[in-house]
Amino acid sequence: MNIVLIAMILALLIPIYEAWQDDDVWQKMLAFASIATKTSIMILIVSILRDDWMIGVVGVIILSVGNAALMLLAHVIKRLNDVSRGGL
Amino acid sequence: MIGHLNLILRLTIWFLLTADLSPANIVIGVSVALLLPGRQKAAAALKDWLHVLGEILVAIPQAYKEAFELMLRPHRAEDVTLERVKPRRTPGLIFLDIFLITFTPKTIVLKYHERGWYEVHWVRRRKKT
Amino acid sequence: MIDILSYGCMGIGLLFWFWGTFPLVGKRSVLFKLHSLSVSDTLGSMSIVVGLLLKIPSEWPLLVLALISLAIWNTVLGYVLAYCSSSGNEISEVGDRSEYSAGEYGVSEYGTGGYE
Repeated sequence: MNIVLIAMILALLIPIYEAWQDDDVWQKMLAFASIATKTSIMILIVSILRDDWMIGVVGVIILSVGNAALMLLAHVIKRLNDVSRGGL
Repeated sequence: MIGHLNLILRLTIWFLLTADLSPANIVIGVSVALLLPGRQKAAAALKDWLHVLGEILVAIPQAYKEAFELMLRPHRAEDVTLERVKPRRTPGLIFLDIFLITFTPKTIVLKYHERGWYEVHWVRRRKKT
Repeated sequence: MIDILSYGCMGIGLLFWFWGTFPLVGKRSVLFKLHSLSVSDTLGSMSIVVGLLLKIPSEWPLLVLALISLAIWNTVLGYVLAYCSSSGNEISEVGDRSEYSAGEYGVSEYGTGGYE
């Protein structure tokens, strides 16, 4: 189980690196979406490791509230792009 | 009244979240599910719904199959196609269609045109000429 | 037996995670990366959760809820990101489908190393 967790942390490093090194905003959004999913799965794993289901409930709630904020942000960025390109 | 499928969906989420089948909880769940506002005109044919739900069950193994195909052989080319929406779809069914197409890893819906077209983005093994 | 199965599911999930996340670093288009992310984040995470479900079946309601919401939210996010990131690059109002054929901006604009 510990090995699984370590492998997950390694996998988590990839999108973090990508979010840091890329300047394009959509590539950053992709990386953040990936980070969000990976961390919430990690929360589930940790809750099983520690045998504490309160942590697991938090993970499931994060998953089911989901990436709503990221979707909202994507729409805001799109709207900003539209405005700055075409004029109001 | 809200559609019965809508009601079932809400009750499923409620019972999975609370994991409690005591009478009090059932009463709370049913009343909350009935009280939440719903769209009025969800008069899609039950047959269509069952059909789409069946397709979702098929789509899960198919998604895994496509994932393995993507892993074993590199798909480098990309292209965009247009697909027709089946006639007489309600918004709920269109949402499920888009969900189905996007769920499989080789295809993503880019855009839904009001006139009844999906714009679908594909990865393929080689460029189609 | 169950143990082997559950570790197998988690192993497949981790494999998907690594395979799908590595293309994120390269210089491909956003849409291409979205395809590989849907492999890793949706399918990989789902198989990890199934592995957990086999390990502790007593918590099945929560884990099934996690599975469902994972599938729905990740797919919808993929669609929203694809829609938002692509519509900046094209004519927003398309009158007639013959105006753009499939290859017109598909391969040329999003091809290898397409974005700057």
